[in-house]
Amino acid sequence: MPAPWRVAVAEESMKPALDPGDWLLVDPTPDRWPRRGAVVIVREPDTGVLAIKRVAARPGDRVGTGPASVLLAEDEAWLLGDNRDRSVDSRSYGPVPLNALVGRAWFRYAPIGRIGLIGRGRST
Amino acid sequence: MSRVTRWLKPSTTVYAHCDVPCGIYDPHAAELAARTVARMVELIGQIPAGSMEVADRQKFVRCVTVKEQHAEIVKHEISVIWSDYFKPEHLERYPDLHERVWKILKLAGKNKQNVDAAAAAELEAAVKEFADIFWSTKK
Repeated sequence: MPAPWRVAVAEESMKPALDPGDWLLVDPTPDRWPRRGAVVIVREPDTGVLAIKRVAARPGDRVGTGPASVLLAEDEAWLLGDNRDRSVDSRSYGPVPLNALVGRAWFRYAPIGRIGLIGRGRST
Repeated sequence: MSRVTRWLKPSTTVYAHCDVPCGIYDPHAAELAARTVARMVELIGQIPAGSMEVADRQKFVRCVTVKEQHAEIVKHEISVIWSDYFKPEHLERYPDLHERVWKILKLAGKNKQNVDAAAAAELEAAVKEFADIFWSTKK
């Protein structure tokens, strides 16, 4: 399947940065991401569903998860949803291989009142 | 939907992926099951010792079965909340959480093996404490 260049958001785990119903432009070229904080589209390892999450840690980073910590391989990223309480993300399915990332969401073109670039900061 | 809107609408949906159903976890089922285990121990104790009456034997077998089943329900419910609901940040607040869960699972096993009012009370109390921790993370 070709990488999408426009996507619609469903579900709430990226609130308040992204709301369900937001329409986004996607950069499908993977050369410069994942940067930390980038919002990426990922094919979820367990389910194969296209999900949208934020890059919390990059290849080679160390991720603390409670008592244990994980060292990410050169081809792995750690993804989290902004809405931590509700999000299913790397905390459930672990590090995500870079080749599961299909694009970076960079611009919201709808709804009209929320048009703008998608920042790399997690706003809470 | 206007033609322009239809033209603009993305054909792909991406999911922010929440727990589905979103965040519905409840330790109440575990508490109820622990209570049931304790109640069955009580009922077993009320059967006249050594009675060979069919009614008594039937009640005995029934109580033991229900006790086993509900101890298993405790294990299941607690395990699900432990693995699916609790997050590393909760563990920072309650560093003994793993220890507590382990203890509950062991106690549930003990209650399957024995007819022991003290063990049943201990299980009920431990599950209640677990539930209190759960609710405190919801505040």
